[in-house]
Amino acid sequence: MTDAAPLLEVTDLATHFHTRNGVVKAVDGVSFSLKRGEVMGLVGESGSGKSITGFSIIGLIDPPGRVEHGSIKLEGRELVGLPVQDLRAIRGKTISMVFQDPLMTLNPVLTIGAQILLALEAHEKVSAEEGRRRAIAALAQVRIPEPDAKVDFYPHQFSGGMRQRVAIAIALLHRPKLIICDEPTTALDVSIQAEILAEMKELVAELGTALIWISHDLATVASIASKVCVMRYGKIVEAGPVLDVLTKPQHPYTQGLLDSLPSRAEPGQLLARGAGVSDAAPPPRKTAVERHEPKPGVPYFTMELVSKRFQEQPSPLRALLQKLGVAKPPHGVQAVDSVSLTVTRGEALGLVGESGSGKSTLGRMAAGIYAPNAGTVLLDGERVMSAGERPHKTTTRVQTIFQDPFASLNPRMRVSDSIAEGPVTHGIVTKAESAEYVRQWLAAVGLDPAFAERYPHQFSGGQRQRVAIARALAMQPDVVVCDEPVASLDVSIQAQIINLLIRLRSELDLTLIFISHDLSVVRHLCDRVAIMYRGRIVEEGPAGEIYDHPQHDYTKRLLAAVPVLPTA
Amino acid sequence: MDRASPFARFGREFAESRTALVALIVVLLMIGLALAAPLVAPQDPYDLANLPLMDARRPPGYVGSGGYTHWLGTDAQGRDLLSAILYGLRISLQMGLVAGAIALTLGAALGITAAYLGGRWEAFIMRVVDLQLAFPAILLALVISAMLGQGKLQLIAALAAAQYAYFARTAHGAASAERGKDYVEAAFSTPLPASRVVWRHILPNCLPPLIVVATVQVASAIALEATLSFLGVGLPVTEPSLGMLISNGFQYMLSGRYWISIYPGIALIILIVAINLVGDQIRDQVNPRLKR
Amino acid sequence: MLTHIIERVLQALLVMLVMSVLVFVGVYAIGNPIDVLISPDATQEIRQQTIAFYGLDKPLWEQYLTFLGRVLHGDFGRSFVFGMPVLELILSRLPATLELTLTAVIGATLVGVPAGIYAGYKPDSLLSKLIMAISILGFSVPTFWIGLVLIMAFAVELQILPAGGRGETATLFGIEWSFLTLNGWSHLLLPALNLAFFKLALMTRLARAGTREVMLTDTVKFARAAGLSEWTVLRRHVLRLIAIPIVTVFGLEFASTLAFAVVTETIFSWPGIGKLIIDSITSLDRPVMVAYLMLVAFVFITINFLVDLTYVALDPRLRKGRA
Repeated sequence: MTDAAPLLEVTDLATHFHTRNGVVKAVDGVSFSLKRGEVMGLVGESGSGKSITGFSIIGLIDPPGRVEHGSIKLEGRELVGLPVQDLRAIRGKTISMVFQDPLMTLNPVLTIGAQILLALEAHEKVSAEEGRRRAIAALAQVRIPEPDAKVDFYPHQFSGGMRQRVAIAIALLHRPKLIICDEPTTALDVSIQAEILAEMKELVAELGTALIWISHDLATVASIASKVCVMRYGKIVEAGPVLDVLTKPQHPYTQGLLDSLPSRAEPGQLLARGAGVSDAAPPPRKTAVERHEPKPGVPYFTMELVSKRFQEQPSPLRALLQKLGVAKPPHGVQAVDSVSLTVTRGEALGLVGESGSGKSTLGRMAAGIYAPNAGTVLLDGERVMSAGERPHKTTTRVQTIFQDPFASLNPRMRVSDSIAEGPVTHGIVTKAESAEYVRQWLAAVGLDPAFAERYPHQFSGGQRQRVAIARALAMQPDVVVCDEPVASLDVSIQAQIINLLIRLRSELDLTLIFISHDLSVVRHLCDRVAIMYRGRIVEEGPAGEIYDHPQHDYTKRLLAAVPVLPTA
Repeated sequence: MDRASPFARFGREFAESRTALVALIVVLLMIGLALAAPLVAPQDPYDLANLPLMDARRPPGYVGSGGYTHWLGTDAQGRDLLSAILYGLRISLQMGLVAGAIALTLGAALGITAAYLGGRWEAFIMRVVDLQLAFPAILLALVISAMLGQGKLQLIAALAAAQYAYFARTAHGAASAERGKDYVEAAFSTPLPASRVVWRHILPNCLPPLIVVATVQVASAIALEATLSFLGVGLPVTEPSLGMLISNGFQYMLSGRYWISIYPGIALIILIVAINLVGDQIRDQVNPRLKR
Repeated sequence: MLTHIIERVLQALLVMLVMSVLVFVGVYAIGNPIDVLISPDATQEIRQQTIAFYGLDKPLWEQYLTFLGRVLHGDFGRSFVFGMPVLELILSRLPATLELTLTAVIGATLVGVPAGIYAGYKPDSLLSKLIMAISILGFSVPTFWIGLVLIMAFAVELQILPAGGRGETATLFGIEWSFLTLNGWSHLLLPALNLAFFKLALMTRLARAGTREVMLTDTVKFARAAGLSEWTVLRRHVLRLIAIPIVTVFGLEFASTLAFAVVTETIFSWPGIGKLIIDSITSLDRPVMVAYLMLVAFVFITINFLVDLTYVALDPRLRKGRA
């Protein structure tokens, strides 16, 4: 067989799921081919069928799904319809796979070494010594420091990035000809993602392994793949060399995806493809919450030396033992450590950091959800939360929009009730007015007012986020804390929500505290940026200045780690 | 787009399991029969004046002096067993449902309160609950009913005291999980009054696991009552539940008069199995880890 | 770890103290034990003497303190009914219950766990449906009724197994055991089967639920993607992951059966401690009840502690990690 012959040839592949609500054509006639050592990106939004394509190739489609028709040829050998035993002999040996969430893929109760040994034994006979030696070598290959000690570790003793490296090591064990990576860096921080991307690129080049990199993120794909297929509704809409597709997209869908990216737009402008924002104006402010006049000399919104420490509550007996000095107090986590922050009226402040930086905790203290252990949060000089043993929130002027729209709405409440509950409780509208009020808000966030009587499960993720925005804004707040409001949305939906936020902010004269791990979204939406790292703010300033001239080392590293799209 | 409320959706999914649907129908039927016992039973088994001793211990199908067929035979006092079972069902169900309802209310209130209060109170309440859970329910029920003496109310108290802890732990687990969810934080950040957050947000979302536990506990309360009555510490002789019927027939079993003990037993088992089947289906439906 | 042990020991003492007060007061409330102690036709003088002898004329708190003082010296008092030291009485009955319980719980686990894993692995197969049908029966049918049916079938109709008693015993470590003789086994079989039925159902359901959940996780999917055989996936991954709840239930079931095989022991006239407690409850034998319940509390706390230790052995996340 010559090098020119394709390693993998997928022709007219169709994988359908037979559910009780009918057939879902997850993959619907996909064809592509892959040469030896080639790196291909498979890009699409959720539900496009990109992951199912990957699972179809490795033969791991669980019922009720099945490969309906089409062909998958590996080195000329047909994989579709192969007996289970033959498929198993190929899995891990010739084709292997890395999954999205490294916290879920490794078995928590087995050591890394034991798990590598199991994968080795799946395809060859190895002695325990030989297995251990090869496990150590495999860990060394994926740049895990001190591999001879780490081989006896359990997964929980590793960070997410390290665990993903272990998964990659297992996938590479038998020097497969093809690796399929299903969103392998999506669950990781941007700096870890950059490391893994670089290492993966090196490894496949070194081993001559072909790679299918499945991702929703055009930029990561651009930084690793040489060719790319864009999927939508189970079909490939566009395929070609990465540079061509990303700089001269032919299909309107690809074009739209690219235009939805905030990194390619002027900061503050509406995103080109963020369609679907209605023109309905939000209802006027009610007299009950008349605009507060700014108080001269008092800063608008401040957080003074706030700290938050999470600590497990000891049992009464243990508390007694602690007092007697017999037991040590349990370990706590200092999530936020003496942070001070001021936001001026009408400003949009971006709070940026990686996971564990304390940004969400800080945001929840700003929103009056968590009471700080020390320090105060003031709006117009008044406390957001009461002092005392059991602090509670005392103002309605600060509201919150959460990250996951599937979790932030009560699943057992109609959305009209979810939106009206707060305003009615606080007398912003009367019960009689509330129905009309809810309809106005639904229209203002671009939803059909007729949806008011629906339950959350009847909405898509983007629609739910609109409901959540309506719920927060219906309280007629002055300050809105947005905790990663677009992080769990597809790029095209993300663009719509970003546009909605930009519009409502200017129409309602809102002050925003915008928490995100995504530097490009923050850049697009915010005037000022604060970078958080390990519970502290390491750098703060106007957005343009920080992005162009970062001072702190951490900021520099963070900015350098962001994958960049090639531009025409 | 699915327009149904969560409740209607749940019902539709439930009906898709034929076993569970049949079980539910059986449960409802038995409740109906128990309620209607005085109307449908051929005989009032506790009208002593009406019990001809010559009809005692007759096998199924015997046509007694009353002129009607004893389809399931008669017991030692000449009672029509079918009638006795229908009345016994009434008492057994009453015990199970009332004790279950009390245990549910008490346990859910304790568990949710503990989860809501947090801190020292939570630690204290849950410690007591955990401790009690370590002991078998039947031991507690036995000791408590031995202390309180025989009687309907005493038995209900014993059953509820033995079972509330299961509800408390479930409610606490569910409420703690719900409390940490975004929609509850959203409610607190509005801010909505705490009572409203508990009643309108946390409680409704704790109900599914509580309903699952409730089905299991009602079934086990019925079995527990039968066991206690069998051991002679449950209900007084004037309140013959299914357990007591079985116990009464026990002595005749060895002499081949199996029906006196077996038929009440079968009635008891059909009831408990049906309740458990319904519970199983609900459990599968509300288990988020089985949804993909 | 040391702190943990100290905490547990303190907790155990606290629980047993609370337990003894509750039981003491509770049992006091039931009735006057003096009616049990002496025959109704005894003279007033003998009656007074007996009351004074057992200290029953003193106020309750004083009786309790006397009792507590004696307990600290290892003296739990004398049984009203048997007239022998309570501790001796309970210990003499313990081996019978122990062998019955162990046989039942171990048997149930050895059969139930594999059956449950199978039912969880192939939930739609006919055999799985049969397994689940049996388990729902075992879960639902009251133990005493199964006991009756077993006696009816094997002892009365077929007449192949005895209906009660321990049968021949043999001595090991100075204790009489039934499981050492064939005749003993024939006596042990029915009550053990009776006890095991519910536990079998429990283990099956637990293993099935765990397997179903684990089979859907990425851990299993990833293992399959690495080419592991289904057998290896089940044996090395699934079994290890569902072991934790199974060990918990094993421990708790063992403890609760040890404490309370009452129903089975009553039906099969098995002379264990379960039979002892039901007899002492009906005869208001207060010292036995109090000592027994304190012993039960002790057993539970010990077994809970052992389960905790097993957790740490099974789940590395609970050990102090170098995270």
